[in-house]
Amino acid sequence: MLQILIYGAVSSAIYAMLAVGFTLIFGVARILNLAHGSFYALGAYAAYVLTSLLKIPLFLAAPLAVLLVAGFGVVMERFLVRPLRQSQLAVLMITLAVSLAVEQALFLIFGSEYRNVPSFVAEKLSIGGVDISGQRLLALVAGVLVLLTLWLFIQRTRLGAAILAVSQDPEAAQYMGIPTNRIFSIVIAISAGTAALAGVLVSPFLTVQPTMGLLPMVKAFAIVIVGGLGSIPGSIIASLILGYSETIVAYLISTSWTELVSLVAVVITLMIRPSGILGRRAAF
Amino acid sequence: MRRISLIDIAGAIVLVAILALAPMFVSSNYLTGVLTVCAVYGIWASSWDFMSGLTGRENFGHSLFIGAGAYTAGFLATIWSTNPWLSLPTAVGVAIAFSLLVGFPTLRLRGPYFALAMLSASAILQRLCLIFWEYTGGEEGLYGLDPLIKSPLHYYWFVLAVLVVTVIVLTLLAQSHWGLLLRAIRGDEATCQAAGINVTFYKIASLMISAGFAGLGGALYAHYQLQVSPPLFSVVVSITVIIMVYVGGIGSIYGAAVAAILLTLLTEMLRGFGEYRLWIYTLTLMLILFFLPNGLIAPLWRRLTERLR
Repeated sequence: MLQILIYGAVSSAIYAMLAVGFTLIFGVARILNLAHGSFYALGAYAAYVLTSLLKIPLFLAAPLAVLLVAGFGVVMERFLVRPLRQSQLAVLMITLAVSLAVEQALFLIFGSEYRNVPSFVAEKLSIGGVDISGQRLLALVAGVLVLLTLWLFIQRTRLGAAILAVSQDPEAAQYMGIPTNRIFSIVIAISAGTAALAGVLVSPFLTVQPTMGLLPMVKAFAIVIVGGLGSIPGSIIASLILGYSETIVAYLISTSWTELVSLVAVVITLMIRPSGILGRRAAF
Repeated sequence: MRRISLIDIAGAIVLVAILALAPMFVSSNYLTGVLTVCAVYGIWASSWDFMSGLTGRENFGHSLFIGAGAYTAGFLATIWSTNPWLSLPTAVGVAIAFSLLVGFPTLRLRGPYFALAMLSASAILQRLCLIFWEYTGGEEGLYGLDPLIKSPLHYYWFVLAVLVVTVIVLTLLAQSHWGLLLRAIRGDEATCQAAGINVTFYKIASLMISAGFAGLGGALYAHYQLQVSPPLFSVVVSITVIIMVYVGGIGSIYGAAVAAILLTLLTEMLRGFGEYRLWIYTLTLMLILFFLPNGLIAPLWRRLTERLR
């Protein structure tokens, strides 16, 4: 029982880090970023390169990896997405093209075999009789901290207020003197950074391979649809629901069936409440 | 959409004749095989274009229908070992069933739900194929399908004929009242709804048609390869189809089919590049998005034949 509670929390935290970034960039810039999964994969690979190949100590390598991927996100948005923003289809196509290009580049450089990243914390902890690796626990703690910081940042700072303003009405925000394009850059950096952090944190206990980004991205879609497109609290609630349902299904039935959970959740949401748990009433 | 003129029909006849006769001049099984794949991709691309090109609802998981059709053919041949010809109608039926499953909850809604749901559904189905490997053969897939027609050349002609019929049927539908409605939905959905058009019905019905042809193409492909495997469901297949339609010119249907044939031939020539092939593909896509937002084939054909109309 306690095992479900803890493992469910860990996977919820990782899903939440992915989904929040995805929903943020959609809510603010109306960009449906199909390359979101590649940020996650790039984060994991950056951690691998920095630690295993360049021998940089982990606690330095992790923030560096996150910064690198955030920079990649900014460059992608500026030079590939922004010129095509008028057409929704073109944005979808270009981001999908980026994700394929990243996947293929990783495949060409590193090959398809699994890569290992050393653990941040080696010792195992025991909570109430449940053994859990320190790394998973770190992912949980880091995830909660990141989400809290993000929430405080958006609610309490001037820049956060500007982001909210742009998400409500980009044109009006522009008239009020908010540099919309710079806000987009900041938001994509946050979005790419959180996804990369998720990738860095899971890299020691999940397999690092070129296609690793696709399935978490699909999960992020599912979470965002269940939670409501563009709603950050909604996607956190949905992450908890999905993370726990998957853990329970894995525990009670088998791990094979966990992949179906997100699909079922999406279908049920779209049938009953298409705007999601906390989405606006009109489904865009 | 402008009406079909004589020059269009003449162009189509010449192209089909060249495609049909090409294996006679260069008689090699290799070329026949490549051309068969070309024709199959033509079916997939034109079926994508019919739904997504006309209504503007981008389907990012066409491989779902393709894979469903192919696996249906695979199951029928290897497990129930029925008459191979039965697999074509069954594949169409299964693909249509899948289209209802995904289309019904998502196409009622506006916004990006359909694109996300299709992409997710195809990715998850590919995953399920690997997880339930006892039934689906896992990575290896299903082997030992029977060819529909023994001679590769005759099979190629058969697939080409299916492609021609597909393009004709879809073009006629696109030119009809039905197609006009679909394009109206693309323009302004709310207005259509206000005019009393059952928007959801038209969107779902056109997805069913699109899925049916994609499934048919999938089954034809399965009976050409004589095996099916999980990559058929992959995002790469979907994106390849979308690139073809994009190059052909979205909404033109014939452009999609021609672009599919040309691009498949090009891919075959690029085979020497091995792993870099997908890179070249992705790069092509980016260049087209930036420099040819209206596509290549259909606008070019219109420019060339402007004087002759």
